[in-house]
Amino acid sequence: MSRENPQTQVFMINLKIRRFDPDENRSWIQKYTLEASRIMRFVDLLRKINDEQDPTLAWVSSCEHGQCGTCSMKVNGKPLLACELLVENAIYYFRTDTFYIEPLNVAPVIRDLIVDFTKAYDRVDQVKPYIIKPVLPRSEGDEFPITPQELERYVNATRCINCFCCAAACISSHETFLGPNAMLNSIVRVMDPREQEKEQRLKILYGYQGVCRCHSSRACSFVCPKEIDVAHFIALAKEGRITKLKS
Amino acid sequence: MNKRLRIDSTLECDLLIIGSGGAGLRCAVEVLESRPQSRIIAITKGLHPQKSHTSTAQGGLAAVDPKDPADKIIYHMFDTWKGSDCTADQNVVRKICQAAWEQILWLENRGMHFSRDQTGKLSKRTFGGHTLNFGESSAYRAVFEADRTGKGIMDTCWGESLKRNISFINQAIAVELLFKDDQCVGCIVFKQKEGEFIRILSRATVLATGGSGQVYKVTTNCRQNTGDGLALILQAGLPVMDPEAVQFHPTGIVGPGILASETLRSVGGILRNKDMDAFMEHYAPKMKELAPRDLVSRAIASEIRNGKGILNPDHNVEHIWIDLRHLSDAVHEKQIPEVTGFFRKYLNLDPKEELCPVHPSNHYQMGGIPTNVFGEVQDSTQKTVFGLYAVGECASASFHGFNRLGTNSILELITMGKFAGDRILAYLKDTPEKFPEAEGDISVARFSRYLESRGGDNIGQIRDEMRTLMTESVGIFRTDEGISKAIDVLKILRHRADHTALSAKSLRMNQELVQHWELDNLLAVSMVIAQAALYRRESRGAHFREDFPERKDEFNYHTLISMEQFGTVEFGSRDIDMSIYNEGGQFYDKFDVIERKY
Ligand SMILES: Cc1cc2nc3c(=O)[nH]c(=O)nc-3n(C[C@H](O)[C@H](O)[C@H](O)COP(=O)(O)OP(=O)(O)OC[C@H]3O[C@@H](n4cnc5c(N)ncnc54)[C@H](O)[C@@H]3O)c2cc1C
Ligand code: SF4
Ligand code: SF4
Repeated sequence: MSRENPQTQVFMINLKIRRFDPDENRSWIQKYTLEASRIMRFVDLLRKINDEQDPTLAWVSSCEHGQCGTCSMKVNGKPLLACELLVENAIYYFRTDTFYIEPLNVAPVIRDLIVDFTKAYDRVDQVKPYIIKPVLPRSEGDEFPITPQELERYVNATRCINCFCCAAACISSHETFLGPNAMLNSIVRVMDPREQEKEQRLKILYGYQGVCRCHSSRACSFVCPKEIDVAHFIALAKEGRITKLKS
Repeated sequence: MNKRLRIDSTLECDLLIIGSGGAGLRCAVEVLESRPQSRIIAITKGLHPQKSHTSTAQGGLAAVDPKDPADKIIYHMFDTWKGSDCTADQNVVRKICQAAWEQILWLENRGMHFSRDQTGKLSKRTFGGHTLNFGESSAYRAVFEADRTGKGIMDTCWGESLKRNISFINQAIAVELLFKDDQCVGCIVFKQKEGEFIRILSRATVLATGGSGQVYKVTTNCRQNTGDGLALILQAGLPVMDPEAVQFHPTGIVGPGILASETLRSVGGILRNKDMDAFMEHYAPKMKELAPRDLVSRAIASEIRNGKGILNPDHNVEHIWIDLRHLSDAVHEKQIPEVTGFFRKYLNLDPKEELCPVHPSNHYQMGGIPTNVFGEVQDSTQKTVFGLYAVGECASASFHGFNRLGTNSILELITMGKFAGDRILAYLKDTPEKFPEAEGDISVARFSRYLESRGGDNIGQIRDEMRTLMTESVGIFRTDEGISKAIDVLKILRHRADHTALSAKSLRMNQELVQHWELDNLLAVSMVIAQAALYRRESRGAHFREDFPERKDEFNYHTLISMEQFGTVEFGSRDIDMSIYNEGGQFYDKFDVIERKY
């Protein structure tokens, strides 16, 4: 087999990875240097390190095409999905071939790049990401009609995959704020005409850990890999513009 | 035995769900809605249930709307039967197709964000193989949530489970099923975060661990799909059904294998080889690019094999091109923006200006753990194993036979999940609330072995060699010679895996340790796929034997295969249910063993 594709370009990449060993409660930065072709993704780089240099480096992914939000991490400070970052784009975007990789600061680190997502999700669970009390369909065996126009108002908020990139970027404190993605999960159900239980919902949304904690910095919208304008939905909530569409 | 390893504690529950994807959680919610006091534990190998593979299903969910004047349930049944290459079980096909619309409404009433038409009702679209009037024209039968249908199911089933206080244990893997007097009484679970083994005793246990795509080098499947459920069943001495029925999607994006949907070809995309020849006209002069999945996959693989492929140096895989350059801007922008977005994002190329590299990608496992129409697991004599159920992609009832139609899988999750839930409710009512003790020491011994073994090999490298081997020898094209050789090499790989030392001996979040365990599962699943493929000396659906290219009536049955020891297999068979045909009702002749021609 011949290598005839002229576009191929190989880079030497330095990854400085923040590591953590729970057995010794020790944290350090480890540098790996590896050869990478231009369209390798960062998940491929991590796998290459495991296969060729260091099988102990712990990280996690699942679908590896930006649909599940498992491989989120910070690269040179920016929270992103490692499966969506290509080597040549990273070099172009960050203007360097050295990358500092660290876990998201949204929950305790379990090992290396793996954080305790169960704990991170506790904040989403608190906003009750389901219909608490559904409106009954008009008749048995029917769907509840929702026009495309009505759906359009909140459909973008339903696209959230809980990757927690926005939560990692958010400048508001994790102690007091449930976080931008938790807010989105809540806002969806306030806007969904099938939810009858609005009172409980509004109490959480406008409560002590709710939208009042947001400083409107828009960092969340800036980093969202799904390009959801999170801050826009939070702003709508602050202005009280998320209740039912007037017909 | 390594003295550090022991089972730390025991939990008890009414129902244990192994695998918190769409199928597992749909089942759990069914039980909780009728019996809210049930204690249910659901475990997932991933970071969280929402990260399960179900979240990635794109296209849609097939169901005949009773209010649709054109479509009929019998047509859906026929399409499924024909698509399966006459190897699906007709009792299962009937039950699922009949229950489909009710399950769509179940999801809609619980908040799934289906796409809507102008009147506010659920939108529907066409999908390959789904027809009106027994193949006459395309049916609008797939409901969908934009290109995120699986995510809609996952979010809804997870939300409903959360609402009903299910106990989730994330990053936990089922490593051994527990039995007492032929009854399944639970499972040993390894909690990765804590590095602990626990015993979960349960009155009923559901396997819902999803697919096994990681057996192959290029796959649309997620990283967790290592065929654990099948391996657990084999470890317990129980059989797996039709493992040789593995579907390949013709157009996976080169490298990652991400699914580039059929839409690209239906809007006019042309497949081209190294010499820019539009080769499909040599394989399917009439249907060309629009021929069925298995045919197109074989055509692409033939081109590559005949030296007409192009080597992608970035990923070191050979591929062919899909040409979308001639399509109008309107088509690019309105009809295929999501899929072409993948090419932009993962290959940094512009499909309007450049050729896009694609390659067949492993996609779906039709076979699995044999169950009856209620999701109850069967042994090799087709007796049900008390207390054990299997649903979703890891199970085979069999709704798909030897070839699955698009949109039928996520339909299977929500229907079979419900049926199993109903059955479990009855089982919980009828059986006394007691928890027979069972020891379970296979898994602890296995993990001890991993920790103690010595040698210089690398788990990742062995896995890559296995995946390449399975792709080349037990993939799209299969021959006696190739498969036999693969079986020998699998034995060598297994031997090498046994002699591979771990770099770190910690139990906490030691991914190398878990990957060693997964590799053993992948090798076991690969071995039964290869053995069953060797045994079936015919071609049927996705199983294509170059040396036996025709379907043969003498093979009109489901393969059952068990493996007590690695490499030593035992075969059995299960009849294909032909109840619709045998009942002789209206249209019964459509459900005979017919030719699969499109
Ligand atoms: C890209 C893509 C697109 C698709 N599109 C469609 C479509 O449009 N329509 C359609 O019908 N089908 C589609 N499919 C197929 C469909 O998505 C899958 O068959 C289906 O989602 C499988 O669901 P499941 O619940 O059986 O398993 P999964 O969703 O895979 O869940 C399995 C669960 O088991 C857990 N698990 C695995 N092993 C263990 C273990 N040892 N211990 C504990 N937990 C474990 C996993 O972590 C996960 O939680 C698509 C598939 C792919 C790859
Ligand atoms: S806009 Fe609000 S929610 Fe978004 S990052 Fe800023 S403070 Fe956080
Ligand atoms: S809003 Fe965007 S960044 Fe935040 S969790 Fe959801 S998908 Fe991720």
